[in-house]
Amino acid sequence: MIEFKNVCASYDVEVPILKDVSFTINDGDFLAVVGTNGAGKSTTMRLVNGLLKPTAGEVLIDGVPTTQLKTSELARKVGFLFQNPDRQICCNTVREELMFGFKALGEEGSQAQARVDALIERFGFDPQAEPFLLNRGTRQLLALASIIALEPPVVVLDEPTTGLDFRECSKVMDIIAEMNARGTTVIMVCHDMEVVADYAKRVIAMTAGQVVADGPTFEVLRNRDVLARTHLLAPQIVDISLCLADECEPLRNTAVARANTLNEMTEAMTAAAQGEGSR
Amino acid sequence: MIEISNLTFRYREGAEPTVRDINLSIPDGTFVGITGAAGSGKSTLTYAINGIIPHCYPGDFYGSVTVDGLDTCEVSLTDISRLVGSVCQDIDSQMVSSVVEDEILYGLENFGVPKDEIEGRIQEALDAMGIVDLRDRSIAGLSGGQKQKVAVASVIALKPRVLVLDEPTAELDPASSVGVFRLLRSYARNFGTTVIVVEQKIALLSEFADQLLIVDNGAIVFRGTPPEVLAHSDELLEIGVNCPRSTSLVNRLRAHGLYNGPAVCNVPQAVEVCKEVLA
Amino acid sequence: MNGFLEYVPGDSFLHRMNPVAKLAAAFILVIACFATSNFVVLALVLVLDAVLAAQCKMVPQALGLAKAVAAFSLLLALIALLFTPRGDVLVQLPWGYIGTESVVAAVLVIVRLVACAVPLFLVFYVTKLNDMANAMVKQLRVPYKYAFAFTSTVRFIPVFMNDMVGIMEAQTARGVEFDGGLAKRIRLMVPLCVPLLVSSVRKTNSAAIAAEVRGFHLRTRQSGFKEYPFATRDYLALAASVVILVLAIVF
Repeated sequence: MIEFKNVCASYDVEVPILKDVSFTINDGDFLAVVGTNGAGKSTTMRLVNGLLKPTAGEVLIDGVPTTQLKTSELARKVGFLFQNPDRQICCNTVREELMFGFKALGEEGSQAQARVDALIERFGFDPQAEPFLLNRGTRQLLALASIIALEPPVVVLDEPTTGLDFRECSKVMDIIAEMNARGTTVIMVCHDMEVVADYAKRVIAMTAGQVVADGPTFEVLRNRDVLARTHLLAPQIVDISLCLADECEPLRNTAVARANTLNEMTEAMTAAAQGEGSR
Repeated sequence: MIEISNLTFRYREGAEPTVRDINLSIPDGTFVGITGAAGSGKSTLTYAINGIIPHCYPGDFYGSVTVDGLDTCEVSLTDISRLVGSVCQDIDSQMVSSVVEDEILYGLENFGVPKDEIEGRIQEALDAMGIVDLRDRSIAGLSGGQKQKVAVASVIALKPRVLVLDEPTAELDPASSVGVFRLLRSYARNFGTTVIVVEQKIALLSEFADQLLIVDNGAIVFRGTPPEVLAHSDELLEIGVNCPRSTSLVNRLRAHGLYNGPAVCNVPQAVEVCKEVLA
Repeated sequence: MNGFLEYVPGDSFLHRMNPVAKLAAAFILVIACFATSNFVVLALVLVLDAVLAAQCKMVPQALGLAKAVAAFSLLLALIALLFTPRGDVLVQLPWGYIGTESVVAAVLVIVRLVACAVPLFLVFYVTKLNDMANAMVKQLRVPYKYAFAFTSTVRFIPVFMNDMVGIMEAQTARGVEFDGGLAKRIRLMVPLCVPLLVSSVRKTNSAAIAAEVRGFHLRTRQSGFKEYPFATRDYLALAASVVILVLAIVF
């Protein structure tokens, strides 16, 4: 469990980035933090893994303030995927890269080797390939794999899909969703509202260093007031559903006005159209 | 007018050509969106237009590219640059100055823009990108999104005949991304600037571009207005290009026999189709 | 958040000075500091440093720098202390002695380095690199190519430092502990130079292309938009530095 208690943070005393932020992330959550550039999302992520310490209030991980945890202890609890995989990759082969985290923690035993082998198999890597010669999407996958190799109970992802094409994006997100299904807590910053709608279970919307809304994904994304205040755009299906509900009185209490996903909307529309026909 | 005929290019270190048999003519004032999976050759295609190939990367260049009648192989990169302004993918490395104002000033000075126009051009560019407050800031201290806005501003200040941008909104939030696309479209409409954008955000391309080019394995596989191209959603998916959700929804309604009009490319159009279906 | 050698915007006396005059004045002060062994003159320079730092609102940075320089010069001071046997004997050493004059010499090393480092660094913080390059091109007739090479080098320092910080953070998040002893830290940092090197090579290559597509080859001495005339304040500042230099040489 991760708790933010009245957290304030800044890089420069005169420019506060987070202002009195409080929320709790439960084990097994899949949380997306959304907001415009500069809303304080990345700062929030850096607080979770202790790269930044709060100037007021505290961040607790399983009840222990991050200020009291050592880097290695934090690394074991929270895996962090940076936006730019090139800052993380530093070894000569894919295999070494995947072993790096174990080496840093001083656990290079057979168990670690087995885990790395399993990851190579699952991601379909060439273990001897040179990481810097791989393409962007594969480097991102490698960075992700080397984080989840350590099996941290919490992973933090800073815009995991930036610069990836649709297939790479789906691959990365499907792996993350699978980890979440097996109990890993996932916290991600993401600009792509379609990805947020497809994967996140809960959304925190931020603006100007403060939390504007915190709740189940579609409760937040269907709230026009929240979207306007945070300058966000609703995912397209939600937007269509909201527009139809606004503009067509008779649809207001039908499934069309509640549809959040492509499947739900297709079904709702088909049902509504057939209902019309039979009447 | 940009004319590309029988263009094939192989990088010196590549075994296969990266782009092959490209034939394309782009009239002045067209907003062209290019997309495709990672490694499909999108960026290389833009390099052919802004002269980076063959001038900066060695390789085998077949066919010809002319911009406003100038053959890019025969004139110097500097002469091409007078017509074509470029924003590359790697934002960090294309900065030539340490301060925002100087970054915008750089090209203006070099291309000999009259000195009494310069202040106005700087203001205009900063204003268009909404970064007037960043004018005196050090570039090293900016966020990725802010740098991206500076890079675009420094090129639009030059008012080139052709704008080539490679993923100009990768690090921007949805609202700023829409802002950039709106701005680019206004340049195409109001000044007759030809705008060529490589982008993964298909929803933005579909909404703003006049022409969509889908690149796969070095060749242009689909080309036309967004509705023309998006009608092939299944084939697009096979080559790793997804469709906006609004398009997918309408395509599904068509598959269910509820609709038989053209494909749509944004939310308002999809809402209209839904109303039509239910009417 | 401001990094090392990153421009700090402002509107102080030092900000508004001509870049060439600033640089020249700073160099004159450096020469003055090395030409004198007189504490009064050095104290004068230190006071001047403090006033300038306060004027451009950079007191914390200047203090930080002064501390860093003092720490570095401690080593030099120690050498001066142990190897300049002069004045009344205080401590006998196998190869000589530490005298009263040795102590003075040691203190002198520290004060001198701090006094001359501050103005130089202030100049870099309050001057846009392009202004410095353009002024050098316009007034000192330095060819633009060399001026560009100079500014690019200095400009990449904060970029690389940011990269290094980013890389260290990414590795910290993977459990690498950088807060150990010096030897351990160096051992941990060496492998990280690989990503840094890769990104630098990529960056310098694309930076060259970026400059070229924005008309690098068209640039002449006349291209610069801004003019850098010498104003009264520049002559005043230069005169003041020369006075300090003369004082330094006389005393």
